[in-house]
Amino acid sequence: MNVFITGASGGLGRAIAVECASRGYNLFLTDINEEGLLSLQNGLECQFGVCVTTKKCDLTEEESVDELLSLIDKNGICFDMLFNIAGIDYEGSFLERERENVVKIVSLNVEATLRVTHAILSRRRAGRTFSLVFVSSLASLYPMPLKATYAASKRFLTDFAMALRQELKNQNVKVLTLCPGGLPTTEEAISGIAAQGFWGSVTTNKLESVAFETVEKVQQGKGLYIPGAFNRTLSFLGKFLPRAVIASIIYSRWMGAQKKWLCLECE
Amino acid sequence: MKTVVITGATSGIGLATARKFVSKGYSVIGIGHSKTNCDKARELILSENPEGKIIYFAGELMQQREVTRIADELTKYISENCNGELYALINNVGGVRSLYTTTEEGYEQQFALNHLAGFLLTYRLLPYIEKAHGRIIMTGSNSHKGIKMHWDDPMLKRGYYPLTAYKQAKLCNILFAKGLNDRCSGKGVHAYAVDPGLVNTDIGNKQTGSLVNFIWSRRKKYGVDPEIPAETYLFLCEQELAPSGLYYYLCRESKFSKEVSGENADRLFALSEKLCGIKYDGQVKCA
Repeated sequence: MNVFITGASGGLGRAIAVECASRGYNLFLTDINEEGLLSLQNGLECQFGVCVTTKKCDLTEEESVDELLSLIDKNGICFDMLFNIAGIDYEGSFLERERENVVKIVSLNVEATLRVTHAILSRRRAGRTFSLVFVSSLASLYPMPLKATYAASKRFLTDFAMALRQELKNQNVKVLTLCPGGLPTTEEAISGIAAQGFWGSVTTNKLESVAFETVEKVQQGKGLYIPGAFNRTLSFLGKFLPRAVIASIIYSRWMGAQKKWLCLECE
Repeated sequence: MKTVVITGATSGIGLATARKFVSKGYSVIGIGHSKTNCDKARELILSENPEGKIIYFAGELMQQREVTRIADELTKYISENCNGELYALINNVGGVRSLYTTTEEGYEQQFALNHLAGFLLTYRLLPYIEKAHGRIIMTGSNSHKGIKMHWDDPMLKRGYYPLTAYKQAKLCNILFAKGLNDRCSGKGVHAYAVDPGLVNTDIGNKQTGSLVNFIWSRRKKYGVDPEIPAETYLFLCEQELAPSGLYYYLCRESKFSKEVSGENADRLFALSEKLCGIKYDGQVKCA
């Protein structure tokens, strides 16, 4: 089983890589952080004895991806699984963010994901089932003030994945969209979750179990995975409220959390 | 002048121990997580002992890449300034994590920081310790009792509880000391684990979640000053003839769990060597 993972040295990417390695899958890992990739490669090879290849890549750069693909083609590697995990967000409201950062969210979360998905699907192993995972977000289910660009970029992924799932149904490709709430991936994320207090703790899920379930569910052929009963309830209830109302509720919740988060940062 | 390396030496037990050793005339090399904390600790120690020998290196020992980098810096420093002799290595650094979080290598953070960091650092420094017929001391804890090693899932990925991970890591500390003695005592090197008791430090307040933070903030008030356990480390280093015990509390030998067996120590050695990609009997000849 050959698995391709983007954003592999970060929180969820690393958790998925560990999960796959523990099942004995061979990994092709990419990330913009080369040091992190090499450390992870070392760790996975020592711990599980699997075959790991790493290549630093800026997925938003066409040439960087071409380099990556030529490495793959030179070695004649075909894939059985793809995890699109690389993604980014910045803190702050739309106008508080740098212009290029706002655009970067779409370049990485949307454009780069399309680029990689097209490239790896074209290099899937013939005659075998292929598993494809998009990491979207609970944020993709609603319009989200203060995370407007991020939520919209994830919305793109959720809708795209659902459509692609139908398109590739008869070609042995299974497509899963993962929509997690908070995940304790970095120190920053953990303190952000703490700042949301009650809401933070009920919408947050264990990273290692989300990784396990994701690898399970895509192979079972599930289409959508929202970790956590509370998050599933939220998303269900959200269907009955007008989107404008949801947006205003989210706005007031995030304003409070952001203020508190900034206070915690100052301490 | 005898040289001592102390990890986690910018606060709590590590800082108190560094202060004690400097005041007794040792040359102390402290290791801390951040440059800022290292500078602060160095200033504090020098304000008490303006002539004291203290130097700090900053590094995030949870990551193996950082342990390797720090080890490179230390071996260079010890070769150039300490005649290539290291009298004592105090593997003290430790922490608690409320959630299952991993290092860059994908290893669970408590296991990596509380055990593997010391395992790898000791491996790198062992030739220098052998040269000085030195001592290696782990900061253990009495909480190692009442737990067995989870050999089938040592990083507790399938059911993580902060306290279980902590207890197991502390059991690893004693097992590591035992394994070292089994392998290296012929070379004049001795390893120990110290039970510091309940100590008023910030261990449960750093990078932990609100629950662990809350509980520890209340519990630590009943702890003793870190100066108390610091005495035990000094005691173990001051004895001309290396003390023969393995586990010490308040400068006295103390009882440890029956899980501390040669078989478990060997198993931990094999696992840790695999995870660090090293062989104690290979590069470093100490058997």
